[in-house]
Amino acid sequence: MGYLLTGLGSVVLIALPLFVGSYFVTILISILYYAYLSGCWNILGGYAGQLSLGHAAFFGIGAYTSSLLFMKWQISPWLSMWVGALLAMCFGLFMGSLSFRFGLRGFYFVLVTWAFAELLRLITLSLDVLGGPTGIFISYKTSPWQFQFSSKVPYYYIILGLVALELFISYKIEGSKLGFYLKAIRENELAAEGSGVPTTRYKLMAVVISAFLTALGGTFYAQYLRYMDPETTMGVSLSVEIMIRAMVGGSGTLIGPFVGSFILTPLSELSRTYFTKGGLEGLPLIIYGSVLILIVLFLPQGVGTWMMEKLAGYRNKS
Amino acid sequence: MSLLEVRRLTKSFGGLKAVAGVDFRLDKGEIVGLIGPNGAGKTTLFNLISGYLTPDAGEIYFRGVSLIRQKPHEVCHLGVARTFQIVQPFPNLTTFENVMVGALNRASSFEEGRALALEILKSMKLFEKRQVLAKNLTISDRKRLEMARALATQPDLLLLDEVMAGLNPSEVEEMIRLIQRIRKQGVTLLIIEHVLKAIMSLSDRIVVLHHGEKIADGSPEIVSRDTGVIEAYLGDLLLS
Amino acid sequence: MRTLLLQALVSGLLMGGVYSLMAVGLTLIFGVMKVVNFAHGDMMMLGMAVSYWLFTLAGIDPYLSIPVSIFLLFSLGFLIQRVLINPILHAPEHMQILMTLGVSLVLVNSALLFWGPNVRSVTTRYSLQTLWIGEIVLDLPRLVAFLFALLFTFLLHVLLRKTELGKAIRASADNPEAALLMGIEVHRIYPISFGIGAACVGAAGSLIIPFYDFTPHVGLPFTIVAFTIIIFGGMGSLLGALIGGLLVGVAESVGAILLSSALKSVVSITLLVLVLLFKPKGLFGK
Repeated sequence: MGYLLTGLGSVVLIALPLFVGSYFVTILISILYYAYLSGCWNILGGYAGQLSLGHAAFFGIGAYTSSLLFMKWQISPWLSMWVGALLAMCFGLFMGSLSFRFGLRGFYFVLVTWAFAELLRLITLSLDVLGGPTGIFISYKTSPWQFQFSSKVPYYYIILGLVALELFISYKIEGSKLGFYLKAIRENELAAEGSGVPTTRYKLMAVVISAFLTALGGTFYAQYLRYMDPETTMGVSLSVEIMIRAMVGGSGTLIGPFVGSFILTPLSELSRTYFTKGGLEGLPLIIYGSVLILIVLFLPQGVGTWMMEKLAGYRNKS
Repeated sequence: MSLLEVRRLTKSFGGLKAVAGVDFRLDKGEIVGLIGPNGAGKTTLFNLISGYLTPDAGEIYFRGVSLIRQKPHEVCHLGVARTFQIVQPFPNLTTFENVMVGALNRASSFEEGRALALEILKSMKLFEKRQVLAKNLTISDRKRLEMARALATQPDLLLLDEVMAGLNPSEVEEMIRLIQRIRKQGVTLLIIEHVLKAIMSLSDRIVVLHHGEKIADGSPEIVSRDTGVIEAYLGDLLLS
Repeated sequence: MRTLLLQALVSGLLMGGVYSLMAVGLTLIFGVMKVVNFAHGDMMMLGMAVSYWLFTLAGIDPYLSIPVSIFLLFSLGFLIQRVLINPILHAPEHMQILMTLGVSLVLVNSALLFWGPNVRSVTTRYSLQTLWIGEIVLDLPRLVAFLFALLFTFLLHVLLRKTELGKAIRASADNPEAALLMGIEVHRIYPISFGIGAACVGAAGSLIIPFYDFTPHVGLPFTIVAFTIIIFGGMGSLLGALIGGLLVGVAESVGAILLSSALKSVVSITLLVLVLLFKPKGLFGK
């Protein structure tokens, strides 16, 4: 049953741009892009249970690295995105080693991830060579070799591909020793240690994978919008947006981030378009906030998990 | 060479000596009971052996390898597994997944680990409940799950911390039989227990701790007649 | 340069007093219930709003409206805890974060909806008055805010140490199970604590409106500062919140001088990281 839905969903998503207009494609790109980032966060925050409020740092490193290498030395983002990913990985390793070595977990870890991301943002803000507060504009070349396209559709397929990649990696992790060990760490780190799990090593693995993949998303963003600044790419609000989609959809599950993004992203995107003019500014986010509150009260396991439970229930009855 | 050798082991908290110069050894195949009044230092001893605590002084040798300053997962790799006084399952993972984590310790492949986990579930009579989340198990099932997970790590030495607490008499009987089965499979056992009748009948040897010191070490018959031991327990009874 | 630094020190201390009051409020919430209150700064924003509107519509001096903002924010905090937080007290951390985030979004955007995004400020007769001590200049409203903040912190200290309610709160914070056994109605104490915490922060808002501009989004940086402070000072320590607040105020002020205004938080964030790594219990933590 699950395979059927997945197959159906994939076909729909692949065929969609042929049937809908440019505006819907834009929204879908937003949804998928947040689903991707959320899914990357989920590897560290969901499976391993190490909540990060600093993922924007990895994202920003990806965006800035590929953009700077492109603007200064005309290196194609298709190549430099891997450099950005590696740099993000190193940053993650640095932050992770420091934090885990000193035994930071739970709320303290959340704070330290926020602190590192914030420091990175402030440094980027203050260095003119990195564009400073005005950020970086990427010159418009529309060359596919330079990861630029004149239509939205190629971007759609690229982000769809990235989402598929992330889902595949998460799926593989779930069914592997890594996945089992990460979940054990999340559930009871002390007991995991006593059962032979090298907790620090595996937490670092999760950081590294998560950081690497998130940074790729950063490059995508840079090439899609062709503009970035420290606030939007490394700011805490991005980290928050990434985190809550996974939580709303069901953190630690395969489809959680995906479902969460499908619920929250249209809310914020569509209402931003329709409500900012009529003096109803703020209303969409009130709804957004209320959704969060209601989910916590009534569907704490996450909307995605709830859906799965319902589906399993139907299957058992038939 | 003994399987486990503990020499002059000492650990203090603040000014209090939880474990004070304890010496003992364990030979392969033994079942040794570790008893003593509350606060005697038994669980602290377990924490020291399994790597959760570092001793202030003394030595711990397992198969000739020092366990001092080894992390708990390294100690587990070497072949020492333990259960906790208050059960510590992975609550939102299934019974199977819980045991699987243990099995992956020594398994050379994921498939091998899965096979081992299922086998252990069957022998611990948890197979029917393998898809149940650990947090939804009864207390006695959770204790068995904890033992199953520990056994899945394929230990040579198993430290059991009060596995019989809260069990009714027939469950205690079952646990005794289980422990004997485990020994038959080649695992050496060091067991902390308050259910004295059970531990006396199960153990080859008894070690008694009181205020962090070892006050007796011998066969159950001898220890049960030792005046120092009787006083220690009586004293504890009078105070409580 | 020395005068500049000294000036920064003094200004930082003055602002630090207000930070302390915010942190003290958070100690009552996070310290007692272990709830990560993302909406902390937004409750301060509401305190500012109360005083702003009372001043603009009725000419009431912000300092006189403090009792009103205390009352209103206490009620709001009490309700939020009762209705939204109590159900999830034992839920995993990330659920609490999600919840208070939601509350924050609702508060901020309700303010946005009703009052618009414009920056609003209050100018009273004394808003621009200054005091000179040697070469150091003190803004009068900042000085008053500082003194009031210290007063409130002291009053709170008295409340917690000397009253029955205070003892009940401390018992509930230390060991809820034991407190229950001793007959303390822990589930009644929690909303009260949250209410008091909110009241502190509402008072802080009223105190700063004479010199700090009001926008619906003004809360988040203060929330972050408040958390930074209680980590420094040590969770559950009132003294820690006080000293921590002053420290952070000075660190920011000095940071602004040494680095730049945009980078003023670098100093306090770096200190936060160091404290987290080496002394996570904070300077005065238990």
